[in-house]
Amino acid sequence: MRHGKGWVWGAVLLVLLAPGAWAAPSGKVVVAQGVDPTTLDPHDHEETPAYNVLLNLYDTLLVRDKNLKITPWLATSYKLINATTWEFKLRQGVKFHNGEEFDAEVAKFSLERLANPALNLRMTALRTIDRVDVKDKFTIHIITKKPFPTLDAQLTLRGALVPPKYFKEHDKAFLARNPVGTGPFKFVKWVKDDQIELEANEQFWGGAPKIKTLIFRPIPEEATRMSALQTGEVDLATNVPPHLVKEIKNHPKVTVSSAPSVRTIFIPIYTVQCELIQGSWDCTKPVQSPVANPKVRQAINHAVDVDSIIKNVLEGQGIRTATPLTSKHFGYDPKIKPFPHDPAKAKKLLAEAGYPNGIDLVLNSPNGRYPKDKEVAEAVGGQLTQAGIRTQVKIYEWTTYMNNVAYRHGGAPMWLIGWGNTTWDADYTLTPMFRTGQLLANYWSPDFNALLDEAQTNMDPKKRLQMYSKASRFFLDDPPAIPLYQQIDNYGVSRKLQWTARPDERIEGLSMSLKP
Amino acid sequence: MTRYLTRRFWQSLLVLFGISLIVFILLHLTGDPAILLMPPDATQEDIENFRKIMGFNDPLFLRWPPWNYLHPPWRFLADTQYGRFLKGAILGDFGLSFRHQQPALGLVLERMPATVELTLAAMGLAVCVAVPVGILSAVRRNSSVDHAGMVMALLGQSMPVYWLGIMLILLFAVRLNMLPAFGTGSLRHLILPAVTLGAFSMARIARLTRSGMLEVLGQEYVRTARAKGLSEVRVILKHGLKNAAIPVITVIGLDLGTLLGGAVITETIFAWPGVGRLAVQAIANRDYPVVQAAVFTLASIFVLINFLVDILYTYVDPRVAYK
Repeated sequence: MRHGKGWVWGAVLLVLLAPGAWAAPSGKVVVAQGVDPTTLDPHDHEETPAYNVLLNLYDTLLVRDKNLKITPWLATSYKLINATTWEFKLRQGVKFHNGEEFDAEVAKFSLERLANPALNLRMTALRTIDRVDVKDKFTIHIITKKPFPTLDAQLTLRGALVPPKYFKEHDKAFLARNPVGTGPFKFVKWVKDDQIELEANEQFWGGAPKIKTLIFRPIPEEATRMSALQTGEVDLATNVPPHLVKEIKNHPKVTVSSAPSVRTIFIPIYTVQCELIQGSWDCTKPVQSPVANPKVRQAINHAVDVDSIIKNVLEGQGIRTATPLTSKHFGYDPKIKPFPHDPAKAKKLLAEAGYPNGIDLVLNSPNGRYPKDKEVAEAVGGQLTQAGIRTQVKIYEWTTYMNNVAYRHGGAPMWLIGWGNTTWDADYTLTPMFRTGQLLANYWSPDFNALLDEAQTNMDPKKRLQMYSKASRFFLDDPPAIPLYQQIDNYGVSRKLQWTARPDERIEGLSMSLKP
Repeated sequence: MTRYLTRRFWQSLLVLFGISLIVFILLHLTGDPAILLMPPDATQEDIENFRKIMGFNDPLFLRWPPWNYLHPPWRFLADTQYGRFLKGAILGDFGLSFRHQQPALGLVLERMPATVELTLAAMGLAVCVAVPVGILSAVRRNSSVDHAGMVMALLGQSMPVYWLGIMLILLFAVRLNMLPAFGTGSLRHLILPAVTLGAFSMARIARLTRSGMLEVLGQEYVRTARAKGLSEVRVILKHGLKNAAIPVITVIGLDLGTLLGGAVITETIFAWPGVGRLAVQAIANRDYPVVQAAVFTLASIFVLINFLVDILYTYVDPRVAYK
């Protein structure tokens, strides 16, 4: 009898493992984000919530694997031919959800759409592309206007491949609501501000996803999002606030999945005060503040106790950084260590700079944009004041902060900001935040600028690493900022759902499965 | 009667024109949308290009020199930003949303049913509960019923909407698992947001009904009605309530407008896909066309409701039309 039973179980197992029975997608997963995407045109946004929906619908030429290594996706391989020409071999046999075939013409159309400023699309990072040449049906050459060492990093995120016939037939307003890609999920419907429904693409070139229905719902209010997670109305919720992490982890039905975030929080310090002269910004005048002196900026860095802020304000949800780069960024130099907390040294440096009686400064900060941002700013202000740097903290609503303070060079001498650089290359943090002349930069050092400019167009990765290492040294010798910490992203996840948080904030339906 | 209505109609138009001006000026005082719409690492050139294409470089009210507008004067409607907005408002075209790349009015109108549904449910609930409570409190003055009713009313008026909403979710969704925590779809989804949104009006109407009824019930004509031998129910509802109704109707009319535009917090807490949430996001993004379309549509409805309330007065109290 024993023998007979074993045979039956064997047969059952065989049926279960047969490819047909195993591959059929099933089940529904509901993802709650803070906001609804404003558009589903993959070339016309720069928003994380939109990326998260669109990366399930559209494919890019390259992707990053879960260890953040650049990997071919709709490309099969790529190489650099000369400083401004890249060759990409493309995957064959890939079809769009509407039946159009993916080939070199598709890649040309998609990338040239992004490169064309006349179309006024909000994604501008690929306008460095000059043109795309079709070499054969599945080979393209991307020609850039100048050497563009981060093109491959960009193409892991931007440059979604779109069906040319469909995109030519419809206008922008229609395309914003009716996405058609090659991705693992197909678009079903979008009820604005309520839900976006996607369905498994069983013909997906990489194999069908395990989930049948993937739904994105916007829940702006943190408390409601966490409630909906606990009631089982949603299976995956973004941004668990630090004070709820423990409670959610101990919940019988849900848990927390965490990843060190791509976003770092830091406080840039002005060394120049830009002025608007005839419609353009002139950033040559030193700032009228003691912080113009590098010793004062070093003193400020010694006075702040970042470890204590992470422990007490963020309840441990942060990783200290020595620069605004995380350890995963290209250009990160592990040899550069954060300033030790040393109020006595801060006072000594202040005295050496000619301020034995301390100084008075202002620290500007947004409220509610990053977890505990206002509280962090207030803690920094308190610690600085204790060390003789009397700091007044000014708090703003986010839009007002960006519009009237950050973008108008009005945040002198110190302002708190977070930066999530999803290309994982030092260029997209250091240049926009610190290169003189950039909208958000208020720092001036000719050597630092020269390093960034050269690294931006140098095609030798080893040399670029050296340049960013040198640029990072400025954070010790002539600090342009108080680097604080790297955030930790916490997602609330149903215990039924198998899914792991990624540091690049991507929510991929393809990697999800439901436990039986 | 006709003269009264005509006068009210022209007043309403004037109000709408005033609103268009205020919305436009306030919005343009708040900062530059170009800079917010472009990615932070966009170049000066990209931003300039964007401004030009979107028409942000055109004058707001007047292109110098002013005699350009002598022939033809309607040039104003094409080459200034306010002119284009005004023309659009009249024609029902507020332009494309900067963010969504969709017609702004369409975005507002597609969310309108959700907001109207929530508002009507909240107001319906408020009236159905508040008017009987108010009457009962007045008739049984200083009884325990009166005290209980008025304590509830006081609570309803003083509880912050935000707090009430979250507490209701924690109690009825998380603890008791009786109702959904957010979203739309069924009558069950409507209950918590409607209670949250309606609480304040409910309290206000209950107190107003009570004080109105108290005043009316002391009048001579009520004593006459009782002396005629009418039943108490008839005295209270026909002779009492109808005469106490004017301030209540005014408040219902005003509150209905306020609820429509003020559902923002409730919509945010319950992730309700309404106009208020759209408007708040649009304000944060400086998405002018959407803000203008939303405010203008809500203001028009507000004005319309008040117009209807005015007509209703003439029915409840015919003396109004002849004043």
